[in-house]
Amino acid sequence: MSRKTGLVFFPAFDWAITPTHPEREERLLYTRDQLFEEGVMDLPEIVEYKPRNADYKDIARVHFCVPDISAQITEAHLIAAGGTLVLADAFMNKEIDNGFALVRPPGHHSMRVVHGNRGFCNIHNEAIMIEYLRKNYGLQKIAIVDTDVHHGDGTQDIYYHDPDVLFISFHQDGRTLYPGSGFCNELGGPTAYGTTINIPLLPNTTDEGIHYVLDQLVLPLLEEFQPDIIINSAGQDNHYTDPLANMRFTARGYARLNEKLKPDLAVLEGGYAIESALPYVNMGIILAMAGIDYSWVREPDYRPENFRETPEHMAYLKGLVEHLQDAWHNREEMAAAGFPWDEEFFESSRMIYYDTDNIREQQQEKIRLCKRCPGYQVIRSRGLYPSGRIRTIQAIVLHRRACPSCQEEARELYRERIADPEGLDIIYLQDKPQDRYHQFTVSGESELQY
Amino acid sequence: MLIGLDVGGTYTDAVLLEGREIIKKVKTPTDYEKLLNSLLAALDPLLEEAKGRAIERIVLSTTLITNLIATRRIEPVALVLIPGPGLNPDTFDYQVPLTISLSGAIDYRGREIEPLNEQELKECMEKIKDSGVRRIAVVGKFSQRNNKHEQKVATYLQEHIPDLEVIMGHQVTGRLNYPRRVYTTLLTLATQRRFREFYSEVQELLHRRGIKAPLYILKADGGTLPLEQSAAKPVETIFSGPAASTMGVLALTPRKQTSVVIDIGGTTTDLALILTGTPLLASKGARIDDQLTHVRAFATKSVAVGGDSCLRVRNGSLEILPYREGPAYCLGGPQPTPTDAMRVAGLTDIGDKDKAIDAMKILGKDLGLSVNRTAELTLKMMVRRITAEINSMFLAWEQEPAYRIWELRQKRKVRPQNLVGIGAASPALIPLLSKEMDCRPVIPQHAEVANAIGAALARVNLRLTFHFDTERNFYFIEENGVQERIPEPLHSLQDAEKFALGRLKEEGKKLGIITDDEPEIIYSELFNMVRGWRTTGRLIDVCVQFPTGVLVEWEEGGN
Repeated sequence: MSRKTGLVFFPAFDWAITPTHPEREERLLYTRDQLFEEGVMDLPEIVEYKPRNADYKDIARVHFCVPDISAQITEAHLIAAGGTLVLADAFMNKEIDNGFALVRPPGHHSMRVVHGNRGFCNIHNEAIMIEYLRKNYGLQKIAIVDTDVHHGDGTQDIYYHDPDVLFISFHQDGRTLYPGSGFCNELGGPTAYGTTINIPLLPNTTDEGIHYVLDQLVLPLLEEFQPDIIINSAGQDNHYTDPLANMRFTARGYARLNEKLKPDLAVLEGGYAIESALPYVNMGIILAMAGIDYSWVREPDYRPENFRETPEHMAYLKGLVEHLQDAWHNREEMAAAGFPWDEEFFESSRMIYYDTDNIREQQQEKIRLCKRCPGYQVIRSRGLYPSGRIRTIQAIVLHRRACPSCQEEARELYRERIADPEGLDIIYLQDKPQDRYHQFTVSGESELQY
Repeated sequence: MLIGLDVGGTYTDAVLLEGREIIKKVKTPTDYEKLLNSLLAALDPLLEEAKGRAIERIVLSTTLITNLIATRRIEPVALVLIPGPGLNPDTFDYQVPLTISLSGAIDYRGREIEPLNEQELKECMEKIKDSGVRRIAVVGKFSQRNNKHEQKVATYLQEHIPDLEVIMGHQVTGRLNYPRRVYTTLLTLATQRRFREFYSEVQELLHRRGIKAPLYILKADGGTLPLEQSAAKPVETIFSGPAASTMGVLALTPRKQTSVVIDIGGTTTDLALILTGTPLLASKGARIDDQLTHVRAFATKSVAVGGDSCLRVRNGSLEILPYREGPAYCLGGPQPTPTDAMRVAGLTDIGDKDKAIDAMKILGKDLGLSVNRTAELTLKMMVRRITAEINSMFLAWEQEPAYRIWELRQKRKVRPQNLVGIGAASPALIPLLSKEMDCRPVIPQHAEVANAIGAALARVNLRLTFHFDTERNFYFIEENGVQERIPEPLHSLQDAEKFALGRLKEEGKKLGIITDDEPEIIYSELFNMVRGWRTTGRLIDVCVQFPTGVLVEWEEGGN
């Protein structure tokens, strides 16, 4: 049987954040024109699928939506997430060899707790797809490679304590771009140390530099990790014409990246050069995934000589790759030495800013340090809304491989908190071992279960 | 009075209608070699019946184009392509004697991103000169958004090769999909001459009969256009047979219902869907010779099973083969067929009953089943095959991609209300099929001339799809190749709609289309173009048309 690439194309021509926002109806219009004019959907290697709506339960496997799921999403979000699930099913049923969900709205800045929209994202399409794959098809080890120019901080947050997920993000250095995170020392929580790899790149890094990182670091790491599936968070804003970033990646560079990376499933993330980049980059990625010649894909002003790397950049990249290779190889020793393993919990806190909705969130996290399993985390989050309103929630994340005693502890903690809410508005339990998701709203004394 | 003529593969049907009344119907065998004679044989009895009373229009549906293409009796056409960046141009093979690719490129907004190369153009012209091919299709990617390159190439070639016939892609269709545009354009040019020849003979013939009524041609999408308009794009009249039968069923069944049209013939069963009164169109356009085109056509499916299909037993199980070896056993044929099973089951009285029993005996022996059980099994298999295909058609429709939230919301699970049978074996099988699918069986009155009725009653369809780019101050129309400056400022979607409706009426008048129907808006959509947080222009798509369907319906339906 010939090779098949599945596509879900859901440009949501009737959805926008606001009329002039970069994430608006027009975003995939020219991509549509290019793909349709090329006749891509008619190619024997391409199978086009219709998206469907994701269920609330699919979302609850990943997120704690405040005050509830319906408040955080529109129908477009359900369809974008559902589109990835259609491809996940087609991939697992072997109808396709790989698949690309060209959907909007995007999702990779959405974190576990969702008070609102940040980085144009409300819910995390890839994470929803991954948890669906794990639940329905028993996949264990997942690798996510984020090729968006912005740090995939939502993905990092969701999988920071999951040793079964290797998350690799390369992006423009957080000191020069939203969301301001994704540095080399963010390597994962105590129970999953080293399975988060951040590769901050200097502005103006080109095809050559990005492929150096890919060849020297990303591909060898994947080879060693041996994931059951490789997911690409396929942002396209590393492109040299992107108005919101400063990199120098080309359509052909993106195509070649996908040819080497061979993602099983790719999901569109950012990319706001809707005319000068997206039509060409999407075309390149699709052709590369389908094993079709992409050497004719080029931007109108593309000149190969413009995308060579400077010696300074190459020296920086070399040092960066070596540093991260060391971190990866010594991750177990570093985890053992870096956390108080004789204690029950490790605590941390941080501020999270929601740029789109202007919400500030204060988060404290307690990570259960279990020597037998990846344990659980207790998140206490205070959302400060622009209206002056404050909502405080507590959320318990129970890992799918948690040992019986951690499972018991986490469920007991949820029950205790309901009995004594301590000024909380909502209490959540994400019980992945049982695939049950609870949300208790204190004021109404009502529990939602998915 | 209206006349409908359908020159089909086996029979030519004709009807004379007055309002809802069928004044006369005729069915005669089709003679492929002498299509005009078949036409006359069907037409003359109608004219006699009409006795000189005024005939308003004649609508003709023929297999002419289908046959020309199937038997490769089309004219050789060479391709001059301007593919630009994107897919490797060698991806598609259009099977033409000569293909020349030129550099030069237009982008999705219609902006020139690479000029033509004069030297290449000269070499191209010389190659064509030498090749001896004198029909050229010039097609560029995104030429519908800017035909400058196509125009320049066409003009240049025509200036240097005097007897050259040239057609340009943007003249044929402005819909997105360049490979389909290339193929549709070349088929258009390849069939134009023979189409004109045939129809000038038809007109001559009508003229001699003293008929002044305008001649209309049925298209694959169930609409009709005056002859002159069809002659420009003959390929749109392909597959008019299935279109005629679907339009016939539309006329003969209750309005606004969901029906499956089932035409059970000798070796095939042809299926089409009517969803709440609207025939379903193939989402990707008609597939001709295994290549997709921009020809709007009904979504039809041909299942290789019919009344004369050959039956046999292999490894102890019954098989329905996809071909016939002659008529049914009960009609003196060599092999058992489903018709024999129907005869045994008492569903028809066609043919010799004893012979039918013998046919079932032959099969039954190898199956270890009685005559009656063998007939039952045969029919059950046939019913299962057809219902499986019907279900897969509905499923395929449900799974057609959608790009807007409202489209997805709208597509619910739909199941048919009626199974409507036409074709010889329908009366026997439709009840069985309907029982299996839990639908109402309908065998319309006059079903045997449904195609001619469909042709007679099909409305004119004129549709115009406008794309406005207010930033570039430019618009084009998909259907007729118009590319112009926007003559009046468009401040809103309503302005664009008003403009489009006005243009449609004008176009209708120009084509001599007389109708009392108000044109309707099929869809309209507006995108703000935002550059640097500021709206710099609008892209507006508006599609308008005169109402489609049939002129009159038999509201009470069949029996």
